Amino acid sequence: MGTKLGGYRRRELAWLYLFVAPPVLGFLLFGLVPILFSIYISFHKWDMLTDPQWSGLGNYKDLLKDEKVFKSLYNTIYLMIGIPLGMILSMLLAILMNRKFAGISFMRTIYYLPVISPIIAVSLLWQWILNQDYGLLNNFLWETFGITGPNWLGKPEWVKPSLILIGLWSGIGGNMVLYLAGLQSISSTYYEAAEIDGAGAWHKLTRITIPLLTPIHFFVVVMGIIGAFQSFSQIYVLAVDGGPEYSGATVVYYIFQHAFEYFNMGYASAVAWVLGILIFIVTLIQFKLSNRWVYQD
Amino acid sequence: MKSKSKFAGMIMLLLMFALTACSGGNGPKDGATPSNPDTPKSGNEASTGQDSKEPVTIEFMGHGNPNEKKIFEKLIASFEEKYPHVTVKYTSVPPGEYSQKMTTLISSGKVPDVFYVGGPEFYRFAEAGTLLNIQSYLDQTSLFNPDNVWKQAMDRYRFDGSKVGAGDMYGLPKDVGPWSFVYNKDLFDEAGVPYPSATAGEWTWDDMLEAAQKLTVDANGDGKPDQYGVGAYSLESAVWGNGGEYIDYATGTVKVNEPEFYEAMQFVADLNLKHKVSPNQEAEQAMNAYTRFINGQLAMFAMGPWDQPAFWELPFDWDIAAWPASPKTGQTATWLGSMGFSVSAKSKHPQEAFDLAAFLSLDEQGQRENYQLGQAVPNLIDMAEGEFKEMDKGPQTRQVFLDIIQDYGRPDVVAFSKDTQWIDTFNQNASKVWNGEMSAKDFTAQIQPKMQELYDKGNK
Repeated sequence: MGTKLGGYRRRELAWLYLFVAPPVLGFLLFGLVPILFSIYISFHKWDMLTDPQWSGLGNYKDLLKDEKVFKSLYNTIYLMIGIPLGMILSMLLAILMNRKFAGISFMRTIYYLPVISPIIAVSLLWQWILNQDYGLLNNFLWETFGITGPNWLGKPEWVKPSLILIGLWSGIGGNMVLYLAGLQSISSTYYEAAEIDGAGAWHKLTRITIPLLTPIHFFVVVMGIIGAFQSFSQIYVLAVDGGPEYSGATVVYYIFQHAFEYFNMGYASAVAWVLGILIFIVTLIQFKLSNRWVYQD
Repeated sequence: MKSKSKFAGMIMLLLMFALTACSGGNGPKDGATPSNPDTPKSGNEASTGQDSKEPVTIEFMGHGNPNEKKIFEKLIASFEEKYPHVTVKYTSVPPGEYSQKMTTLISSGKVPDVFYVGGPEFYRFAEAGTLLNIQSYLDQTSLFNPDNVWKQAMDRYRFDGSKVGAGDMYGLPKDVGPWSFVYNKDLFDEAGVPYPSATAGEWTWDDMLEAAQKLTVDANGDGKPDQYGVGAYSLESAVWGNGGEYIDYATGTVKVNEPEFYEAMQFVADLNLKHKVSPNQEAEQAMNAYTRFINGQLAMFAMGPWDQPAFWELPFDWDIAAWPASPKTGQTATWLGSMGFSVSAKSKHPQEAFDLAAFLSLDEQGQRENYQLGQAVPNLIDMAEGEFKEMDKGPQTRQVFLDIIQDYGRPDVVAFSKDTQWIDTFNQNASKVWNGEMSAKDFTAQIQPKMQELYDKGNK
């Protein structure tokens, strides 16, 4: 509050504002304005060619009767089966990687590579891997076990498992790094105390490691669900026109189709907002439930 | 499971705005010069140099493969020679993004002066008032003789204020794409099967099936044929030939649940399900019919004129024939694709823009280059019936292309739809019939109400 510092303070503040201006302005212009506009447009019919026409809650009413909305929502939720699987795998991997031996950082890098690979390129590669006739995977199954592999991307019942598989492959590395950080923050005193009490490896894992990792579990679940709700790119590449019988289409893909294939911008915005609110509610519930199971020091 | 996609769409939009913002201004030269747009001048007298006209820049946007791009660059150069006061800015975007980009440009008020339009797009743009009515320019131009252009091609670009196909012209044809029935002559010779007839109505579904059965071969005996008789048989051809319709546009009634339709659909499905002469869905996904044909493992297939350059490279002999006729009606049919050029209603230089569209659409030299490179059938009737037919590269029976254009080709189903969800739903679920889960009869009965609902919602 010193008046002497006033001028200095003000200059300091001016600099501060100057430095935060670009991202803030960027957000206002390219984030907030489109967001507000999409709320506005979701109450209209708009084909991008003529002026928007007010339709009130029309889009929202249509959406409740639209079976494709529910089908794509069901597909999206189905894909979330991958989240618990991914958690188990990445946690085990992190435990494996949490030791010192030669080449450990190389191993970690290998597992992290899929995370930084561009998703479109990765999807195209998977398209080859999963091809029924000349794909790597079915070839491997045939050569090694004599099993004729399924038509991964061509049969409605196999499309979603394929997508889950790809999600696992590309998501494990990122979660592994999170778990590694979590593991390294667990104090060794716990383990030493447990050993004195005669605990074996299993007990150490289930009674110490897993409970103390709950903040990481929580983070991974929340982000995983949000990410699953938003999955689009791999669908766009792997499931042409939503896949056989629309079995691969996620909600965001459906939104994309309405926005950029049928140019129903109003309807697409309405579905997008419903999805946004849904994600918000699900996440809120998770936070509410979190104090029951997440361990905090 | 990454959240990259959330902003991807938004960023894409913004990028588009950003990109187009850079290409907006044409400098101070034009815009200030009202080129009295109400009084079209005849465009044939190449400007007599000196003073006559202010320099003008017009923007032209299209899409297509590198070949097509080269042709257009050449065409534009000769256009600029003919009209020295005009400079053309040509942008070519990837086909997959064209519709999105164009719509975005229109909604942001930065429409190119001349641009491509295709079926449903033409309808949407015409109805939204985006396209210039070029009828008056057309009536006065001496650039070409409309009677020498395929009527079927011209009619695609008529709009009467509510419907496509009648009324004033709002575009000019870039091309017509007759979807034809192609066959591998060598395989027919090997099997001693007579070639399909090039005359419509002579060769029926039954004849085709008989030939296909003889041409389906399982050489290595693994139970999977390594050579199939027929692939990717056109459902439209079967349905229309059989007297069926997807929809009656006059009344807006979806008609897939009528016997003429589902019998034809069942026939196409049975090529695989019952007769095994066509690859099933799984085989199709493993190796699509196009690849099989190219590899010489498929006797009968379909092609468009744009497939010519690739097919010229093939090591075997091939030709085109008329689509097989329905034994019930004796009729044959197929679809005739088309793209067009339209002029923006907001163009500051409508006369020059029209001249460019007309030049690209109908300039004799351009049309010649186009067909010689195997891109299309000429729009000019005398050229198509003359030198194009005489061309010494495959297909030998080029008359088939012309028959389709003149007699039995029809606009693809979506050409008269603004909103295509109704037909997309059909295609997304049709696999139930292709894989034998449902009969065509049951499936069409089940899907018709959904299609009707979507059609009514999007198009009425």
